[in-house]
Amino acid sequence: MLEGLLVNLVPYGKEFLERDHRWMNNQASFWSGGGERHFMTQAMIAARHAQWAEESGDINDELGVAFGVQSKDGTPLGYFGINWLSAHHRLAMLGAKIGEPQYWGGGYGTDALLLLLDYTFDWLDVRKAWLMTTSMNARVMRQMEKVGFRLEVRQRQSALADGVWYDWLAYGLLREEWPGRAALVEQLGLRERATAPESGAK
Amino acid sequence: MIEGTLVDLVPFEDDFALYLETWMNEEAWFRAHLWERREPHTEHDVKKYIERMEKDERGALIGFQAKNGDPIGAVIFDHEWPRVRKAEARFFAGDSRYEGSDEVLDALLMLVRYCFETRNLHRLDAVALPFDEVRLEHLRRAGFVHEGTLRQHIRWDGDYVDMEMFGLLDSEWPGYAAKVAGLDLQPSGLEPKPRPEKKDEKKDGAG
Ligand SMILES: CC(C)(COP(=O)(O)OP(=O)(O)OC[C@H]1O[C@@H](n2cnc3c(N)ncnc32)[C@H](O)[C@@H]1OP(=O)(O)O)[C@@H](O)C(=O)NCCC(=O)NCCS
Repeated sequence: MLEGLLVNLVPYGKEFLERDHRWMNNQASFWSGGGERHFMTQAMIAARHAQWAEESGDINDELGVAFGVQSKDGTPLGYFGINWLSAHHRLAMLGAKIGEPQYWGGGYGTDALLLLLDYTFDWLDVRKAWLMTTSMNARVMRQMEKVGFRLEVRQRQSALADGVWYDWLAYGLLREEWPGRAALVEQLGLRERATAPESGAK
Repeated sequence: MIEGTLVDLVPFEDDFALYLETWMNEEAWFRAHLWERREPHTEHDVKKYIERMEKDERGALIGFQAKNGDPIGAVIFDHEWPRVRKAEARFFAGDSRYEGSDEVLDALLMLVRYCFETRNLHRLDAVALPFDEVRLEHLRRAGFVHEGTLRQHIRWDGDYVDMEMFGLLDSEWPGYAAKVAGLDLQPSGLEPKPRPEKKDEKKDGAG
C-alpha cells in the first residue's frame, strides 16, 4: 500500500471491481475516454475482468500496474495506474479515473498522482512517465501544470465529445525533472484533512 | 488494386510475402515500426505477422508496386478508431533502391487517398524519428502537419530519442488528383528485380 495524505493506493481488488460497472457507465468514462459513452452490461464487465485475470498471470513486460485509489476512510474512489509499461524503452504510460464525481477537484487525484510517480520512478526505474488527455479536460491540464509535466504533442481534432472536436494532448515528465514526492507536497502545500469531499465538480 | 501515378496498391501476397522475409529485417522496416523492440524476424515471424494483419479488423497491410509490377514495399493503416474516424499511417520501402524516391511518396499519398476517400476517415496520425530525414520529407510533402515531439521517448541504438508526431485532417487534404498535380512526381526508372525463388518450386525441383 502506498500512503498519501488524502488517499492510499491499494491493490485493485474486489471492492474496486464491483464498482467498475458504475465507473464505466458514468461521467468518469466520458472524461477518461475523451468523450466516450459506454453502455456496458454486468456481463460485459465480467468478461473484461476474466480477461484481465487471465492476462495477469502472463510474464509480459508490457503489462501495466493497476492500483485502486482509496480515501483515508476506506472508500474506493477509482483507478490510478500504469496502462502500458515498456521495459525496453523504460517508459510508463499512466492512466487515471476517479469514478466518484463528487471527489473531483478536491486534491485527491494530485495526491494519488504523486504517489504513483514516486512508485514509477523509484521502484520500476522508468525514465519517463507520460499520459494523454483531451483539451476539454481542464482538471488534468491543471494537474499536469502543478506536477511539472511538459505538454509535448497536440493531436488536432482527434477526440470527439458530444459532437465537438477536441485535441488529444500528450504530457511527459522525465525522471530528472521529477523532484520527488516530498518536494512536491511541500511546494504545493498539500496536507491531510477530513476525507469528506469539500469541493465537488460535476 | 488502386492505380496511382507511379505506384499501384495491391493485396500483400505472392512475391510480397516472399520479399517480406528480407524486408522485415531491414532498417526501413524498423524505422517504420519504431515502437517495436529490434530483433531478428524469422520466416515464421513474417508469416505470423502477415496472418495477424489479414485478421486485423482495425488495420491493413497493403503492397505497393512500380508500374512495371516490381514490388517496392508496403503501406499500412492500423489502430483505426471508428468513433473518431482516425488511424495510424505507416509506410516503408522494402526495396532499398527506392528509399527516398517519389514512388514511396506516391505510395503514402495513395494510402491517404484510400483512408480519406474510400474509408471515410477524418484524421491520420504518423510518426518519425528526428533523424529519419527521408521519412520526414515524405510526410511534409504529403501535407502532414508537425504536432509536437515526444521527448526522449524511445530507446534507439544506444540512446533515448525523440519521436516526431504528425497529423493530417481530411479537411487539409485537397484530394489525390489535386495533390499529385502540385507535386511533379518523377519515376525512378529502375529495372525490376529478379523474381524471388518460390519455396515450393525449389522443393519440387529437389524432390
Ligand atoms: C483527472 C482526475 C484524476 C484528477 O483528480 P482530481 O482529484 O479531480 O484533481 P485535483 O483536485 O487534484 O486537481 C485538479 C485541479 O484542477 C482544478 N479544477 C477542478 N475543476 C476544474 C475546472 N472545471 N476547470 C479548471 N480547473 C479545474 C482544481 O481546482 C485543481 O487545481 P488546484 O489544486 O490548483 O485547485 C479526476 O478528476 C478524474 O478522475 N476525472 C474523471 C476521469 C478523467 O478525467 N481521467 C483522466 C483522463 S487523462
